[in-house]
Amino acid sequence: MTNRFKGPDAEENVACNLIPMIDIMFLLLLFFMLGADMSARELEDVVLPKADQVAEESKIKQEGEGDRTTVNIFHNHTTPGVAECPAFTSGGVCRDLSHWMIAIRANYYTLDTIVKALDDEAQLEIEEVGKDGKAISKREVMIRADENAPYGYIQRVIEACAKAGIYRIAVGAARPEPAG
Amino acid sequence: MAGSQDPNENPVAINVVPMVDVIFCLCVFFMCSFKFKQIEGKFDSWLPKDKGLGPMSADLVIQEIRVAMFWDDATQTTLRQLGSRKVKTDEELQALIRQGFDDAVRTGHPDIPVTIDAADKVPWKDVVTVVNLCKREKIEKIEFAFGAAPK
Repeated sequence: MTNRFKGPDAEENVACNLIPMIDIMFLLLLFFMLGADMSARELEDVVLPKADQVAEESKIKQEGEGDRTTVNIFHNHTTPGVAECPAFTSGGVCRDLSHWMIAIRANYYTLDTIVKALDDEAQLEIEEVGKDGKAISKREVMIRADENAPYGYIQRVIEACAKAGIYRIAVGAARPEPAG
Repeated sequence: MAGSQDPNENPVAINVVPMVDVIFCLCVFFMCSFKFKQIEGKFDSWLPKDKGLGPMSADLVIQEIRVAMFWDDATQTTLRQLGSRKVKTDEELQALIRQGFDDAVRTGHPDIPVTIDAADKVPWKDVVTVVNLCKREKIEKIEFAFGAAPK
């Protein structure tokens, strides 16, 4: 008697076709590779204040426009004892100025050392010499400060810019997520 | 069949399994390190080129819209004041800024600045909120007042 319900032969080749899967994998890989941020560490992880009127940055440099220095101001999240600051971790405003840090291109500064760093940045692009003989720089400083940073700290950084002869200041903000 | 792994059909078939392994590893790496970029932008402002950090002259003080910001420890909120008027909501502050700016335009001072005079304890996000309100009213000249150094 012949078996009418015979299953697949053990010898039958059941190799699966991997090509479509490889195609999909390549597409996924391409997507993640292009989306990955491999740029130089100019931007620190900072929770920026939200503002709906913020102007998107133009990647095209205007004539006579200088280069930009990005100054990141953020709460110290590496030093033990400071990183667990209860005021900051609870989402409040930490007003201990020693808990805050400034970073320019992954180099870290305090309020005392930032003046020298900004002075060096200003010297890179001198625009003119002012009435008092002080050099005025055309370099732009972009301040990316955490939304819970005390204004007094940021004010000292802006003051350091003024002392260094930098007058073009930009304030970084994030566009809020659209509702819904 | 094209791409088949059957050696009988295609005697020179390439073993793609190691390649799939590598692609999987790469995929996992990029997936783990992937982060959606937040849309960021900037507000331009300019420090006075030739005024320095000294005190302002009396006539300059008059020709400005000054928003004072204080921190209230009792309520843990920022108090805002435009002139002598205390402002509670963003809408009210925006209306007052608009009114002050319109008055200045009528009196021939269309380039009047809005000066933000915030106390040291005020959170940065509250300062940026006021900058945002000024930008909604298409005011380009926004200045930050300097106070005494913090202790």
